Amino acid sequence: MELLGTLRTINRGVAALIGVMLLLCAAFVLLDIVFRQLGSSFGGTDEISGYVMAIATSWGMAYTMLELGHVRIDLLRSRAAPVGRCLFDLFSMTVLSATVVLIAYKCWPVLERSINNNSTANTPLETPLVLVQAPWFAGWLWFAVMACLTTLIALRMILKGEFSQSEAIIGAFGEVETLK
Amino acid sequence: MITYVAVGLLALLSMSIPVGIVLFLLGFGIDWFFSSFPLIRGLGNMVWSASNSATLIAIPFFVLLGEILVRSGVATRTYAALDRWVSWLPGGLVHANVATATMFSATSGSSVATAATVATVAMPQAEKLGYDPKLFSGAIAAGGTLGIMIPPSINLIVYGFLTQTSIPQLFLAGLIPGIGLALAFIVMVAIICTIKPHLGGERRVFPLADMMRALVHLLPIILLFTMIIGSIYNGWATPTEAAAVGVAGAFVIAGAFGGLSFKMLTESIYGTVKITSMIMLVVIGASFLNFTLASAGLGQELDAFLSGLGLSPLGFILVVVVMYIVLGFFIETLSLMVVTIPIIVPLVIEQGYDPIWFGILMIVLIEMALITPPVGLNLYVVQGARQSGSMSEVMLGALPFAIVMLLMAFALIAFPQIALFLPQALN
Amino acid sequence: ENLAVVGSWSGLPLHIEYEAPFWGETLPAASGGDLTIELTTHNQMGLGLGDIYPLLGQGVYDVAMTVADYAVADAPELEGLDVPLIALSAEEARAMVDAARPMVADIYHDRFNSHVLAIAPYPPQVVFCNAEIAGLDDLQGLKVRASGRMTAKLLEALGAEGVNVSFSEVPGALQKGVVDCAVTGAGSGYSAGWWEVSTHLMPLPLGGWDPVVTAMNLDKWNGLSSEMQELIQTQITTEFEDPAWATAQNALVNDIACLTGNGDCPAGESRSMILVEASDADFAKAREILVGEVLPEWAERAGGDWAERWNASVGQVVGVTIN
Ligand code: NA
Ligand code: NA
Repeated sequence: MELLGTLRTINRGVAALIGVMLLLCAAFVLLDIVFRQLGSSFGGTDEISGYVMAIATSWGMAYTMLELGHVRIDLLRSRAAPVGRCLFDLFSMTVLSATVVLIAYKCWPVLERSINNNSTANTPLETPLVLVQAPWFAGWLWFAVMACLTTLIALRMILKGEFSQSEAIIGAFGEVETLK
Repeated sequence: MITYVAVGLLALLSMSIPVGIVLFLLGFGIDWFFSSFPLIRGLGNMVWSASNSATLIAIPFFVLLGEILVRSGVATRTYAALDRWVSWLPGGLVHANVATATMFSATSGSSVATAATVATVAMPQAEKLGYDPKLFSGAIAAGGTLGIMIPPSINLIVYGFLTQTSIPQLFLAGLIPGIGLALAFIVMVAIICTIKPHLGGERRVFPLADMMRALVHLLPIILLFTMIIGSIYNGWATPTEAAAVGVAGAFVIAGAFGGLSFKMLTESIYGTVKITSMIMLVVIGASFLNFTLASAGLGQELDAFLSGLGLSPLGFILVVVVMYIVLGFFIETLSLMVVTIPIIVPLVIEQGYDPIWFGILMIVLIEMALITPPVGLNLYVVQGARQSGSMSEVMLGALPFAIVMLLMAFALIAFPQIALFLPQALN
Repeated sequence: ENLAVVGSWSGLPLHIEYEAPFWGETLPAASGGDLTIELTTHNQMGLGLGDIYPLLGQGVYDVAMTVADYAVADAPELEGLDVPLIALSAEEARAMVDAARPMVADIYHDRFNSHVLAIAPYPPQVVFCNAEIAGLDDLQGLKVRASGRMTAKLLEALGAEGVNVSFSEVPGALQKGVVDCAVTGAGSGYSAGWWEVSTHLMPLPLGGWDPVVTAMNLDKWNGLSSEMQELIQTQITTEFEDPAWATAQNALVNDIACLTGNGDCPAGESRSMILVEASDADFAKAREILVGEVLPEWAERAGGDWAERWNASVGQVVGVTIN
C-alpha cells in the first residue's frame, strides 16, 4: 500500500523530531546543572521538561502504533487461524481508533480553556499554556487520524482477502529491524 | 468494583486490545456503572497532567541511555564479559542475564528501560545457543525489575515525593535489598538448572586470564554509574535530573569505548520513542482508570477494609503485602503507587513502621507486579524484544523469580535492617 | 442529597483535623441524615493541581477544596488573595482573607462556575536556610526554592535566585547545596525533617498563608433548597472555617518552638535551628519591593479593574496601595 508507506515515512520523521526535542531537553537540563555549579541558573528546567514529555508522548503514539509497538496480549489471538487473527486485529484496531478519537475529542476542552482564559503556567516563567497545549493536542489528533486511516486500510485488505498483508500492518509483532 | 475491574480487564485483554486502551475502557466502564458523576469530563485533564511530568521524562532518558549503550556495542561487551564470569554456574547464560540486568540497574532508574536494554542484547543469544526461552526471558524480565530497587530509581523518587521521605536515604536503603535479590535470583536459577539441566544452557568455564581481561569491559558501566550517582550525592543534580546526566554520560562512554554514528543515533531515537510511547499509553490509561476508581470510592473501600480489620502490626503488614500482590496483577505500577500510597502509608506509619523501610518493601512488591500477568510491563517489554514465541512463555518463566521476590518481602519484614542498615550507618 | 467532596492534601493537618471530621461527621449529623458525603482527596485521585477547580466547574464532583494558588494559571487575579509579607499574624491574615472574599467569590463564579463556601488557612510559608543569614537582605545571591508565582517573583526581586525542586527533594537539595534556602509551612518542614539539613529559620510569611478555598459547583449549589444552602453555609463557617483559623496562630507559635527549641513543642522533640528575625529596615525594604515591583506586575497580569478592587478591599485592611 502506497498510502501506508507514506504514513510510515512521515511518522518516522515525526519520531526523529521527537528524538531531537528530547536530546535538546537533556542538553538544557545538563546546562542548567553546570550553570548552577557556576552560581547561576535558568530556572524552570523541570517545567519545560514536563511540556517536552507531554508533547513527545502524544506525537510518538502514532509512530509506535504503525511499528506495532503498543503492547497486546495475544494468548487467544495467536491460537486462531489467519482469518481469525485478522478479525482480532481489526476488532482491536477499531476499538483503539474509537478510544483515541474520544481521547482527542476530550483533550480539546483543556486547550479551549487555556485559549479562553489566556492561561499562563503557575510559575515564574508564566508560560502561555496555549503554546504547549496546542502541539500536545495536535499530537493526539494526529494519533486519532492515523489510527482511523490504518484501520480503513486494513479493512480494505481484509475484504480483499489479503490476510497476511493486513497482519503486517495491524498484527501483534513489531518490525524485526527495529529490534536488532 | 475490584471484581468488575478484574473480570473486565481479563475479558478485554484476551480480545488482544492494546493494554493502554483496555485501561481507558475500564475507566469508561467505572464512570458509566459506578459513578453518578460525569467523570469522562476529566479525561482530557488526566491525559494532560499524566504526561506533563518532569519526573516521567526520566523514562525516555533512561531508555535512550540504554539504547545508546546497546547500539554502540558497549552493552554487548558488558554482557559478554559477565558471561565469562558467571556462565560456569548451572544455568549458564541465564546468570549473565541477571548479572547484566543488575549492572544496568545501577545506571537506570526505570525497570522497563533496564529490561529493554538487556532483552535487546541477550535475546539473540538465546536463540543462537538454544536456550529454553521461558527461564531465559523470565530472567531478563525479573532482572530488569532491579532497575527500580538499585539506585537511581524513578519509583523511589515518586515514593519519596508522595510520602515526604528523603530520596537519597531511600536510594541507600535499596542498595542491599537490590543486590540481595540479584544474588537470590542467581542461586534460584542454579538450583532449578541443577535439578532440570535442560532449562539452562551449556555451562562454560573460561580461563582465568580470559576472565581478568574481560573486566575491562565492565569499566564503562562502572564509570557511568559513578557519574549518575556521584552527581546526586555531590549535590550537583536532583535525582530526576540525574537521568539527563546519564544520557550525556552514555554519549561520552559510547564515544570512548564503542562507536558513535549518525545511524546508531537515529536508531536509538526510534527505539526510545517507540518504547516510551508504549509505556506512556499504559501510564496515561492507568492514571485515568485510577482517577475513576478514586472518584468512585476505591480509597474509602480500601481504608474501611484495612482499618476495620483491627489487626496487629505484623498482621496488618501481611494483609498489605497480599493486597499489593493482588492489585499488582491488574494495575500498572506507577498508578498503583499513586493510588495506594496516600491511603496505605499513613496507616503503616501509624502501626509504628519506618517509612523508608516500607518504601523498600513496597518496591519489592512493585517489582513483583512488573512481572505478574496479566498486566506486567516488563513481561511486555521482553516479549516485544523477542521475534517469536508466545507471551505465556515469558509469563511462566518469570514465575519462579516472583516467588523469590515474595521471599525477599518476608525477609524484609523479619529483618528490617536489610533495608535500614545502610541509611542508618551512613547518617 | 449526596455530595462528592474532594479534599485538600490528605497528609496535612488541615485535612486530617478539620476537613475529614467536618464532611465525614459534623455536616451529615447536622443535616439529620439529609446529606450523605463521599469524601476523597485530590492527591488520592491523582488530579493535576491546576485541574481541581476547572473540573469542579464542569461538575465532575460537587465540592472541592485546595490551595487557591494552584488555580492562578486560569485566573491570575486570584494571586491577590495571597500576597506574601503583608499579613504577619493569623489575625491579620484572616482580615486580609475576609476583605478579599467578595473578589474571590466573583472569580470562582466567573472562572470556575462555582460558589465559594469557606477560606481556611494553611500554616504560613516560612524560610528554612542552610546558610548563615541574619535577615532578608542576606537572601541576595542565594538559591531559594519557592512555591507559588508571587513568592518566586518577590524572591527574584529581592536578588535571590529561584530554583525548582519538588518538596521531597528539598532535604537532599539543602544538604548538598543545590539550594541554600527553601520556603514551606513551618509544620511541614518540621515533620519532613528539614531541620536536619538546615540551620537558620526566618519565620516571616515570605510565601504567604496559602489560603485553601472550599467551593461548590454552581449548578449543584443553585439546585439546593435555600434551607439546605443556609445549613451548609452556617455549618461550614462555624464548624470548619472558624476553628481552623482559631488554631492557626497557635500552630505557628508551636511549630517555631519545635524547630528552634524556644518554648514548648507539643508535636514531639524540639530542635535547635537558629531563629532569624528580620530587622525593621530589612522588612521595610522588602515591603517596598513588594509594593513597588511585585504588586504592580501582578496588577498588569490580572488586568481589568482588579488592582482597584484590591486597593479598595485588601489594600485598605493591610494599608497597601498598588499604584
Ligand atoms: Na536503578
Ligand atoms: Na502485574
